[in-house]
Amino acid sequence: MHRDHSVKGKWVKCDQMTSQERWEALVNRRPTDRVPCLQFMLGHTAVVNGRPIAKIYDDGAESLACQRNAMALYGHDGLIMHGWANAGGAEFGGEIEFPYRKYTGAPLMKKNPVQSEEDAWDLRVPDDILSVGTMPIALEFSRLQYEAGLTVTLQVGSPLTWAGSVYGEERLMIWMLKKPELVHHVLRVITDFIRRKADYWIDRFGAERLMAFDLGIETNKLYSPKQFETFGFPYLREIHDHLTERGTAIILSHICGEQNKNLPLWARLSYGKRGMVSVGKEVAISKAREMFPDCVIMGNVDPVTVQEGTPEQVRMLCRACIEEGKDHPGGFALMTGCEVPPQAPPVNVDQMVKACRELGRY
Amino acid sequence: MADEAEIFSQLKQAVMEGDEDVAVAAAQAAVAAGVDPQRAIIEGLAAGMAEMGRLYEREECYVPELLVSSEALYAGLGVLRPLVIASGKAEKKGVAVIGVVQGDIHDIGKNLVKMMLEVNGIEVHDLGRDVDMERFITATQETQADLLCLSALMTTTMIAIKDYMPAFKTQLPGVKIMVGGAPLNQQLADEWGADGYGENAVEAARVAVRLLETK
Repeated sequence: MHRDHSVKGKWVKCDQMTSQERWEALVNRRPTDRVPCLQFMLGHTAVVNGRPIAKIYDDGAESLACQRNAMALYGHDGLIMHGWANAGGAEFGGEIEFPYRKYTGAPLMKKNPVQSEEDAWDLRVPDDILSVGTMPIALEFSRLQYEAGLTVTLQVGSPLTWAGSVYGEERLMIWMLKKPELVHHVLRVITDFIRRKADYWIDRFGAERLMAFDLGIETNKLYSPKQFETFGFPYLREIHDHLTERGTAIILSHICGEQNKNLPLWARLSYGKRGMVSVGKEVAISKAREMFPDCVIMGNVDPVTVQEGTPEQVRMLCRACIEEGKDHPGGFALMTGCEVPPQAPPVNVDQMVKACRELGRY
Repeated sequence: MADEAEIFSQLKQAVMEGDEDVAVAAAQAAVAAGVDPQRAIIEGLAAGMAEMGRLYEREECYVPELLVSSEALYAGLGVLRPLVIASGKAEKKGVAVIGVVQGDIHDIGKNLVKMMLEVNGIEVHDLGRDVDMERFITATQETQADLLCLSALMTTTMIAIKDYMPAFKTQLPGVKIMVGGAPLNQQLADEWGADGYGENAVEAARVAVRLLETK
C-alpha cells in the first residue's frame, strides 16, 4: 500500500486496501476505500517495460509480466487481459501483423479471411478451435493468469466487430445492405466459435474465476442503431445469455466510441453475476449510470488528452469523472474511455491513480 | 427519349438508392440523349452524393448507406468520366493526394473523403493505407498536388501526422495540408500546423474546397 503523502500542502491518507482487495471488493459489491482505477492498458505496459508492443499480443508470458509490472509501477487496480478490438479474423485463417513496426499499436489485419461471397458461405468453425490464429497465445495467457491466482480473462467479441475483421469493415458494411443473409451466416459462425471458446474456458478454469469481455466498436459514427439492433445485438445477447447461464462471474462490455443510440440495447444484455460497462468519452457517466444501474461503470477519461495533454488537464478530466460516477450504486471505477495510448506520457497515466487517491476517497 | 432533367433525377436517385445498375443505365441514357457528361456528373451523380452527405450529417443515414451510394456513384462515373476526359473539357478545382499514415490500415474514412473530394471536382491521387512520409512527399511533388490529406484512426498512428508535419512544411511549400480521423480534432490540427481539419467526410470536402479557393 502506498504511504501517506503531501499534495500542495494537504496530507493525503494512504490507501486502506491493496489493489487485489479493492478489485475483489468491487466485484463482490462491497465498499472500497476509494474509487478504483481500472485500465485497458496493453501496449503502454510494454512501453514502460522497455519491450516491443507486439509482445503484449504474441507472447502470453511476456504480456502478463508486462501488465503486472505496470500495475505495480502505477498502482492501478486492473485490468489484466489479452485481446484487441480488431480480433477474430486470424482465427478463421486471416493474416495478421503483430505491432513491431513504428506507429503500430495493436495487431493489424493484413488479409481478411473472407474475400468473396464463396468464402463467406464456406466459413465454418474450425474443428480444433484451440490451435487456430492467436488462440494458443490467449490460452497460454489465461493459463498463467489462473496459476497466478488472478481473474482469468476471455475475449468474447463482439461478433459484429469480429465480422469486420473477418470480412474487412467496408465489405461488411456494403453486404449488410446488399447481402444481409450472408452477413447473418458469418455472424452465426462467429457466434458459434465464441460459444465454443467460452465453454472451453469455463470448463477448464471455472466460471467463478472468469471475466468475459467484449470490445464493441459498433459506433453510431459508422452504424445506425437499427443496424446494430439487426446485426449486432442478437448475437451479443446470445453470448451474454450463454455466459450468464453458465455462471460466469463477470461480464464486461467495452462500449467504444459514440454509442448513445445503442445504449438501450446494450442495457438489455445479461451481465453474469457481476456486470461491468466501460464507456468512451462520448457517453456521459450520468447517462451510463442511468442505463446500467446495477453494473460497475468504468470511464471515461479522454485517451487523446492522456496522450497529448498535460497532467493538469488529465487531472481535471479525472476529477469530473470521479464526481459524476463515484456514488453510482452499481459501483464506479476510473478508466480511460478506451485503451491507454501506448505512447502516453507516464506522468499522465500516473495522474489517474493519483486522482483516485486524492479525489476519490469514500 | 428522356429529357435532361429526368436523366439527372434518375442519376441522383440511383446514387441515393445505391443502385449500380440503374446508375449505369441512366448514365448510358444521358450519353444516348447527347447530354453534356460533365453536367450529368455534377447535376446527377454528384448531386445524389451531396444529398447523401447531408443525410449523413443529420444522422438520417450512416456509413453503410454512404458506401453503397458511392458504389453507384463510381459505376455511373465509369460511363461518364471517360467522355469528359476525352472532350478535353474536364474541369477540376485542384489536385489532392490522400492516404492513411504509416502503421494504420483503417481506410473507410479516407475512402469516403476521397469520394467526396471527387464529387466536388477535385482530382484525387489515392496512396492507400500504411503510407510513410517519403511516399506522401514524392507523390505530392510528382502530381503537383495543391492539397495533401492525411488520415489516422489510432492514437498510436496519429503521432505520425505530428512527426511528418515539419518535413511537409519544408519540402512541400505552398501545399495545403488537411488531417482527419477519429482521435483528431481541430485543436490538434491547429497545434500541429495543419491548414484544415474535417470531422467527417462531408465537412472535409467543404474545408478542402475552401482551402483550394483561397490558395
